[in-house]
Amino acid sequence: MAESPITTHDPKNEGQGQGPVQASPQQNKEMEKNFAQMKRKMSMEEIGLKIKHKIMVLSGKGGVGKSTVSTGLALSLAQQGLKVGILDIDITGPNVPKMMGLDGHKLHVEGGRIHPAKGHLGVKVISMAFLLDDPDTPVVWRGPIKLGAIQQFIGDVEWGNLDYLIIDFPPGTSDEPLTVSQSLPNIDGMVIVTTPQAVALLDSRKSITFAASLKVPVLGVVENMSGYTINGVTAANTSVEIAGPGGKTIKSTSDENGNFSVTLDIFKKGGGKSTAEDFGVPFLGALPFDPGFVRGGDDGVHKIVSDPEGASSIAFSAIVKAVQAQISDKPSSSLEII
Amino acid sequence: MEQQMPKLVRIERRESDLHLTYDDEQELTVSYHDLRHACPCAHCSPLRNEDETSLKLRSQVESFKLHKPSVNPVGHYALNFIWENGCSNGIFRFERIWDLANRRDPDGGKPYVHGAW
Repeated sequence: MAESPITTHDPKNEGQGQGPVQASPQQNKEMEKNFAQMKRKMSMEEIGLKIKHKIMVLSGKGGVGKSTVSTGLALSLAQQGLKVGILDIDITGPNVPKMMGLDGHKLHVEGGRIHPAKGHLGVKVISMAFLLDDPDTPVVWRGPIKLGAIQQFIGDVEWGNLDYLIIDFPPGTSDEPLTVSQSLPNIDGMVIVTTPQAVALLDSRKSITFAASLKVPVLGVVENMSGYTINGVTAANTSVEIAGPGGKTIKSTSDENGNFSVTLDIFKKGGGKSTAEDFGVPFLGALPFDPGFVRGGDDGVHKIVSDPEGASSIAFSAIVKAVQAQISDKPSSSLEII
Repeated sequence: MEQQMPKLVRIERRESDLHLTYDDEQELTVSYHDLRHACPCAHCSPLRNEDETSLKLRSQVESFKLHKPSVNPVGHYALNFIWENGCSNGIFRFERIWDLANRRDPDGGKPYVHGAW
């Protein structure tokens, strides 16, 4: 370990011809720990400057597709040619690596710095999953240990220069976002992911209030699993009726080639938008219910990578533009464009 | 030693190029053809990896009718150009525009493998 620059002295001994008092091993250990923390804090501040935009992705409830949205945002930004990283802070259930085709990857550590893995489209990824020997073993950590791991994931990682860092959190409003918002300077804001059903909406409202308490701006709400579109073929110009959720009849008419499509609102519709309106935060958009995300996640090939022109990729692209518009609210005022 | 990038303070959209003014009073230009050929998006970037596809991209952008693009600032770090046809997806960081204005390869000779940087 590097020699600590800190020494101790006892004022009582000054002027009595005795040198500085040697610290006890325990004091030395404490000082080394404080020195390491100070170095990490300085490193975190430097990292804050090297990464232009930091976006937190949260949801009040689990299972709403937060990691899917995080990876989708990252890949959609990378498609624009931007330098992007994802920090998977979900220590107890990290699944970003699987979605990014990095399952089983081990981190490279050099010179005391952790080097992120590179996933699809060059997106840099750091995740707790990279440190687990057995994916079936749960991580059982109390708050302070978790806090230390998160600070290490921020301060000891060699991210390099990035345009965007997307931070994926576990569900809820606990330690993790609090630690990150206190450790990483100049966070642009939070994206809140929800599904349209009442339980998820209730929890997403808590997340919006939580953001206010952290003094982190809410960039907006994304409604995931918003509607499932069924395509079919029948006789040309024919009326079609489908029994939708809740016994609701959904009508459609086929075109001259007999093609028709109907969208089933499996988890209701529009809840994300109304929640955003209630709290006066932007609604960033709705993502369709797409089984391709499940398959893509399991296979390690994200839908945006496998089907860049598909409906889900287009929806992600629109959400990314809405996020960028929020961040671009204050464009370079001194730039004149004529 | 590489010159440090000055701050871009003015962009004039002319008939066939951008006229750029930097805060150190340098005035430089980037033709619309060069700008569009250097689009950093994930669709256009890989096309520049091979001479054949790069030339194809070049002839495609040169086939478009010249017109002034809309310019949208992206945060404090980049610009997005909206064209009437072809690709408008690329987010051009100021460093990229600076490289193009100085007739340098904005990708530094690196092929597009894992992103355009």
